[in-house]
Amino acid sequence: MSQDQLALFRTEVSAWLKTHCPASQRQPIVREEQIWGGRRRVFPSADAKQWFEACRDRGYTAPEWPVEYGGAGLTPEQAKILKQEMARLQCRPPLYCQGLWMLGPALLVYGSEAQKREHLSAICRGEIRWAQGYSEPSAGSDLANLKTKAEDCGDHFLVNGTKIWTTKADEADWIFCLVRTSDASPKQAGISFLLIDMASEGVSTSPIQLISGESEFCQTFFDNVQVPKANLVGELNGGWAVAKELLKHERKMMAAFDGMLEKPAMSLLELAHYAVGVDQDGRLGNSELRSDIAQHLMREQAISQLGERIYWQGKAKQSDPRLPLLMKHLGTTETQTKDELILRALGDEGLSMEDECVPEGLRKMVKQWAFNKALTIAGGTSEVQLNIIAKRALSMPTSEVKS
Amino acid sequence: MILNAEQLMMRETVAQFFAERAPISRLRALEHEPIDISYDVELWSDMVALGLTGITVPEVYDGLDFGWLGLGAIAQEAGRCLVASPLLSSVVMGQNVLLNCGSRAQIERYLPAMLSGDSTSTLALDEGRAFDPDSIVVAERAGTMSGRKIRVLDAPMCSLIFSVARRESGELGVALVSADSRGITASGRRLMDLHDSGSVVFEALQTETIEWLEGLDIRGGLQKTLDQATAVLAAEMMGTAREALERTVTFLGEREQFDVKLGTFQALQHRCAQMYCELELADSAVAAALVALDHDAQNTSSLVSSAKALANDCLTLISSESVQLHGGMGVTEEMDMGLFLKRSRVCNQLLGSSSYHRDRYARLNGF
Repeated sequence: MSQDQLALFRTEVSAWLKTHCPASQRQPIVREEQIWGGRRRVFPSADAKQWFEACRDRGYTAPEWPVEYGGAGLTPEQAKILKQEMARLQCRPPLYCQGLWMLGPALLVYGSEAQKREHLSAICRGEIRWAQGYSEPSAGSDLANLKTKAEDCGDHFLVNGTKIWTTKADEADWIFCLVRTSDASPKQAGISFLLIDMASEGVSTSPIQLISGESEFCQTFFDNVQVPKANLVGELNGGWAVAKELLKHERKMMAAFDGMLEKPAMSLLELAHYAVGVDQDGRLGNSELRSDIAQHLMREQAISQLGERIYWQGKAKQSDPRLPLLMKHLGTTETQTKDELILRALGDEGLSMEDECVPEGLRKMVKQWAFNKALTIAGGTSEVQLNIIAKRALSMPTSEVKS
Repeated sequence: MILNAEQLMMRETVAQFFAERAPISRLRALEHEPIDISYDVELWSDMVALGLTGITVPEVYDGLDFGWLGLGAIAQEAGRCLVASPLLSSVVMGQNVLLNCGSRAQIERYLPAMLSGDSTSTLALDEGRAFDPDSIVVAERAGTMSGRKIRVLDAPMCSLIFSVARRESGELGVALVSADSRGITASGRRLMDLHDSGSVVFEALQTETIEWLEGLDIRGGLQKTLDQATAVLAAEMMGTAREALERTVTFLGEREQFDVKLGTFQALQHRCAQMYCELELADSAVAAALVALDHDAQNTSSLVSSAKALANDCLTLISSESVQLHGGMGVTEEMDMGLFLKRSRVCNQLLGSSSYHRDRYARLNGF
């Protein structure tokens, strides 16, 4: 597509967004007002519904997916322009869904035609909400050790077992799962990727109470659940490849998450000024905190500079494959450093998540501090990340213990 | 933030050159030289022949105009071999204080000899225990100038000295003096890393021997010079850190204890992985600072402070850990790791410690 055509596309998109995105949907996102899909969906407001439906009808909930599956069929360049224009006009994301970010892209690669037809447009149209069933109580970092079993019963699989850290499984309609279909060795070779309707008999969920006072996650139980064979994605015992494809998109999504999450009430610097004030020279009133904040901001900035380096290397076809391996560990650790600085600055006000004498915005930051302790655990712990870096970036020798 | 084809080629040439011509043994040889010999003159003339004096110099002044990112890449390669040379003192500090604070006539008069290697120069700035460019005491009074400058790199070897001083009017100025003028004593001081950090003493130096730089914005020009030097030093430190980490990872892959390679132990793997994270993080900040210098970006000073603070912290960590992970060998002179450790601590004090740069960064960003 020529530069002229792209410029024209930008003008059209911008005009369309201005016409169809209500003013209330052009505000920074607030968690309670996110639009989630699903059989039991409830729109946070009439404006939200209108905005979602406009995007849905134009394929903008999944801009890059083919039109026949409910997407808009945009090229990557066009999708980037749409994203830029939405960011510029502060349009909220029209739909939040794990199906959109993770399952869909994997189905496009590994799904059968029938699966694509059945599931992709239901995702784009916000009709079905998906959950992810990977980890198990005894398969965390060692994911391949998963034990949830899918037994071949001729016309269906019989599934028994349990999945943990299933995000919002109590509100989800379907779940995509990794299940054991063979005891073959290595363990990865006996895993299949299965789609399960949560309305099936034998599926139950139980929320997990987190230290942040929330329950984003559930444990999901499968007790003799019958799953049609048509719900197998990819080949039997070939689920690990699908899972890896999906993981790529999970990481991409995490990187793009910034604009999709609620912004804290104050930036770190605003909060520090609010909490400790300034000295007679107009500088932040606590020199140790000032120095630690400076160090954190430098590191935070350097992490995005590392991201830029990776981007420019890619553009110039000089990619250093070692660099992307560092992002998760560096990024999540730095977020936790920031949270600790917030708590330190807040002093007494940072000691309760419930006390209503403390402004709600501040309490949300305290909750975030507790919630973000999960960042260095979920999606591959920091320890696993360091293993990967030692092995793949530094080529250090492998030990006797199997990884 | 990445090198273009010309810069890549230059880096490759220079890397090979340093590996062949400037091994660490050549640095160690300086130890047996008189104290006033701070670098190997033959090595330096080969560096001049490679064109290293003109990397960032604009084409109008017959330079190569390869940019700060290009010079940063060269400094990294020098850092790998801990090269002692007037690259920082003369090429970066001397030449650029002239370019940034001098008049066109002064530049045209003094720069050609610096580019050809016929003369070298240095910047005399520091006076106190720690880097602090805002408190300059040395001043011109009643026709003479007296005082002492320390941490003057390669002081006894250079022919021209640019000294930051207060002028009779009280304004900040840059005095250009010939090193052999009466009233000037330039002495060498070999630090533990075998690099020089000399001093210059002015004793009733007659004002007639001083040529003040006549650029329009001395203060701005000085700040720019210091930003340039700091970014290049940070780049050099990244080369030193990368080399130390590579040597350590190689050592752990060879050394056997308990019947296995040490590198198979997860505790050691994690420490190396952690160091590698810090290395690429700091390296990204350094690249961003060099790019900012190339584009004369508005937030250059902030990016430079960030780069130096992160480079200090990173090299401090990597050099300490490298000595530790080399075990007993790490603390012997038989291995070079001790020199990396010492170089790291010297670089920390040069052009600003981490606390200095964190404080400056905070000030530049309004807190």
